[in-house]
Amino acid sequence: MAVLEVSGLTKRYPGVTALDAVDLDVRPGEVHVLIGENGAGKSTMVRCLSGIERPDAGGMTLYGERYQPDSAADALQAGVRVVHQELALLPNLSVAENLFLHHLPHRAGVVDRSALNRMARDLLTEVGLDLSPRTPVERLGIAQMQLVEIAKALSGQCRLLIMDEPTATLTPKETGRLFEILRRLTATGVAVIYISHHLEEIFEIGDRVTVLRNGKHVTTQEVAGLTTAELVRFMVGRDLAHEYPPVRPRELGAELLRVTDLKITPAAPSLSLAVRAGEVVGVAGLVNSGRTEAMRAIFGADRSASGRVEVRGRPARLRHPRTAVRAGMSFLTEDRKAQGLVLDLSIAANMSLANLPAVSRFGLLNRAAEAASASALAEKLRVASRGVRQHVRALSGGNQQKVVLGRWLAADTDLLIVDEPTRGIDVGARYEIHQLLLDLADAGKGLLVVSSDLPELLGICDRIIVFSRGAIAGEVPRAEFDAERVLNLAYSGYLKGVAV
Amino acid sequence: MTAVTAPRAVGGRWASQVLGEAGIGVALVALVAFFLAFAPYFGTSQNVRDIMTQITINTILAVGMTFVILVGGIDLSVGSVIALCAVVAGTAMTDSGLPTALAVPFAILVSVVIGAVTGFVNGFVTERWVVPSFIVTLGMLYVARGAAQQYTGAATIYDLPPGLTRFGTATFAGLPAVFVVAMLLVAVAWFVLSRTVFGRLIYATGNNEEAVRLSGHRTSLIKVACFVIGGACVGVAAIIYMARLGVASPILGQGYELNAIAAVVIGGASLAGGRGSVVGTLLGACLLGVLSNGLNLMGVSDFQRTMVTGAVIIVAVVLDAYRRRLSVRLS
Amino acid sequence: MRRRTALTAVVTVTTALALAGCGQESTDDPAPGQAGGKPTVCLVMKSLANEYFQQMQTGAVTHVKERNDLTLDSSGTQNETDVDGQVALVESCITKRARAIVIAPADSKALVQVVAKAVKADIKVVNIDVKLDDGALQQAGVEVPFVGPDNRDGARQSGKVLADLLGKGGKVVILEGNPGADNATQRKNGFNDAVSEGGLTLLDSKTAHWETDEANQVFASMLTAHPDIQGVLASNDSMALGAIKVIQERKANVKVASFDNIPAVKEHLQSGVMVSTLDQYGSKQAADGIDFAMKMIGGEQVTGWQKTEIKLITKDNVGS
Repeated sequence: MAVLEVSGLTKRYPGVTALDAVDLDVRPGEVHVLIGENGAGKSTMVRCLSGIERPDAGGMTLYGERYQPDSAADALQAGVRVVHQELALLPNLSVAENLFLHHLPHRAGVVDRSALNRMARDLLTEVGLDLSPRTPVERLGIAQMQLVEIAKALSGQCRLLIMDEPTATLTPKETGRLFEILRRLTATGVAVIYISHHLEEIFEIGDRVTVLRNGKHVTTQEVAGLTTAELVRFMVGRDLAHEYPPVRPRELGAELLRVTDLKITPAAPSLSLAVRAGEVVGVAGLVNSGRTEAMRAIFGADRSASGRVEVRGRPARLRHPRTAVRAGMSFLTEDRKAQGLVLDLSIAANMSLANLPAVSRFGLLNRAAEAASASALAEKLRVASRGVRQHVRALSGGNQQKVVLGRWLAADTDLLIVDEPTRGIDVGARYEIHQLLLDLADAGKGLLVVSSDLPELLGICDRIIVFSRGAIAGEVPRAEFDAERVLNLAYSGYLKGVAV
Repeated sequence: MTAVTAPRAVGGRWASQVLGEAGIGVALVALVAFFLAFAPYFGTSQNVRDIMTQITINTILAVGMTFVILVGGIDLSVGSVIALCAVVAGTAMTDSGLPTALAVPFAILVSVVIGAVTGFVNGFVTERWVVPSFIVTLGMLYVARGAAQQYTGAATIYDLPPGLTRFGTATFAGLPAVFVVAMLLVAVAWFVLSRTVFGRLIYATGNNEEAVRLSGHRTSLIKVACFVIGGACVGVAAIIYMARLGVASPILGQGYELNAIAAVVIGGASLAGGRGSVVGTLLGACLLGVLSNGLNLMGVSDFQRTMVTGAVIIVAVVLDAYRRRLSVRLS
Repeated sequence: MRRRTALTAVVTVTTALALAGCGQESTDDPAPGQAGGKPTVCLVMKSLANEYFQQMQTGAVTHVKERNDLTLDSSGTQNETDVDGQVALVESCITKRARAIVIAPADSKALVQVVAKAVKADIKVVNIDVKLDDGALQQAGVEVPFVGPDNRDGARQSGKVLADLLGKGGKVVILEGNPGADNATQRKNGFNDAVSEGGLTLLDSKTAHWETDEANQVFASMLTAHPDIQGVLASNDSMALGAIKVIQERKANVKVASFDNIPAVKEHLQSGVMVSTLDQYGSKQAADGIDFAMKMIGGEQVTGWQKTEIKLITKDNVGS
């Protein structure tokens, strides 16, 4: 008997049919991968399965019983666990409290802390997180939080586990550990619905795959025997010749950025790097290896202890992002919602934010000019929207990322630092963004591309700087690109030191 | 992706716009209709002028408060600061020995500067030491009240220049002159918030400060500026108060901060910042003023009036949340 | 676009208000202040949350029922300092074309301007409770009769009882009302009169804002600073109650002279800790004011200070 059977599931929003009579069946002990571009209906499907949304039509059965959750609590009760893409942890509470929030162990109403911490430690061990259950969640890195979220899903009875982009922030090592956990779970008969943009993961972990496009079911197939190209064709409805756009040979220009002996804190290792015009420099490293911190310090987003930053050969004291922008730098942050977008403003307003003088005069906004410039950018970036006056809150992740990119394109700076430019973005939009970054380099801009997605860096960069444990562990030029070599460098700092 | 670009029903767009923006205006029209039907004298031109005069001070304070709330702050000190502005400016008029023609502009300057300076202190302390403005302005509430009492020795100043008090009762094109001042202020604030780069940065900062900072703007400066604007508005309100009542007392203005916040919130602003408009604020102040005046004319007792006002604030905010959800669903 | 919609709403409302105003004024304007042939008198109170003013209002309503020759329209503010709110109430009275206004001003100066407006609109105004400031009235160019007790004389009388009891050199403190409030100043002056006439030594004089709990704190610290205090001159009974609580807790031998005669002090007068208080027949004041207002509507000239009865209350006449 199937664990979950979905038939004719339909969900309409005004003007939009998010799910259009979709069928799905999930078998016991299988990892069923759900893929599709952003807006294909994956998230709506998850929301229906987890009781957050009620479908307009269609039915679901769970182990042969009618399954019609009215709330997230109903879904939980039925043994359907969800790890959402957006983290839902309470930052001030400890890891243990977060794990067992719904059923804290207690004696006569008083929380039994030792039992709580013991149970929490067992769970953490299971997901391979080596930290004290008493640690407040706010002190964790984003990848650790993700693992806590996964552990939380395992903290009760679980018959069907749904994971929405669980690896978006995980390093390869952590992803590997997650897959181990999943294999162990499926061996006991638990079924998993797994949503991911990483095609290579599908081949590694998936048993069957269902492809959605524009709210419709395209196909369900055994993963074995499929090729990446076929999958992409199912998703996009057309052929993408390659996963990454072709890198044309470029003439490198003058040195745009030189960072010498930058120290984040007085005790930190000193960092030095340089970027030339027309160069795409990748920045690799594990999560928390110090790469994002280094970029923020270069941009002046955080104070650094010491060091010298030169832009076009001129020293720049970057104490505030304002000086960095004026000196000709852009910074696309890794967390677009928290640090990039102004969700309640329009696409046009978001795009002009770093370039207001161009659309204003004597401090007065020229809204027509702003809209015109935004429209041109939106067209260039192929932002799918109802128009540039639309609020960015309603856009899909890929389109939101394009809006932030558009802001920095409008600013037209010589140097762009982009941190996780394609996180949580579907294949089609990824390709477009990669193409755009390469176009910028072709036009003589310098780029620093930070990413946890190694194939991405290998696909588009001229060379890759590898961070490990806060220091630069080494550099690999394009001619010598090799995933293993980069990974070895990324781990090197942790191997040399004391115990990990 | 075509899903997002699919055209929406035209009716939905219109309905969502009315619901999203003019909800409070609809409520106000309904209230006015109700009082026209049931409150004697409500529609007389005399009473309309009364209402305009009566909402003037709260409107001015609420306009300033809108700026502060838009950047995610709150200013609890306005009720005390208006007293401080009034007594110092009042003394400036009575004791400076200047002729009225000079004394009044001097007093206006003094009042606005004191308001702006307290606003600056509120904003600066909030930003420099990253503490909640709720607490800082709560402190300022006490400091300013004490300073006002200290300054006058708790005495009321009353022999203000007749020119000023005449202005308090004067009419301009049939409208109370003080109300015209408030409307001018509303117009200027509306222009600043919706048409200038500064206004844009205010909304953006209230919405996502880090994003604005990383886009190369000094958000601290923007936030402090909003507190300064809020304070300057208090200074203007202090002059209006003296013009209207002919006195400056160190105990005036108690509870004004809450009226101003109520007007801003009824007007649809979010206390988290980034959402709200000065037009909404004006409508909020009108709603409170019309309510108080109409109930009074109907002979509703003061206790009941207080209860109804509170209930209306709650209902307004609940309706606001509801129609916002509705308009999101329609869009 | 969205702002324009909201703006339209504002314009609509304003226009509606204005049109309604124009329409009504010229057509069906009800006869001025005349309901069923009886003149309308507005009673504008302050701080109806205060029992004292509440009683005053109730007294007025009863009195008007007995007279049966006028319509009473009474209103009041929520708290003692709501000057702005009270001005709005008076403005409404003018709008309603009341024949007379009887007002207990929340501020002796701030209300003068609107009162002058009423007088100029040919409305008779009678001032009760706290006297409007003479200088301010003069400046506004109007004269308004005051119907009320002599707070200063009352406080002097109450204070004198304490002075006589303690004798020359007795050490006392004063608990003052709200700084700036006229009755508070008058009572403080009256107490000071009693202090100097009786040869008492004044150790301290501070405000407790008419409040029991604040008086409790203020007097406790006074007693700590001056353990030799023998007497307290409290500007109202609420504050006296706060001081008495301290006296009882510390078993101190301190006597209290007070003002107002609220029911709660009766037991303290009987037990002897309070030696005197003063009844100014507050509940009658509004009724008295209405009587004078009716006289003025009838064409009689009433000016100056119409003093109302006050009575010193001690153990002997408090009753049981």
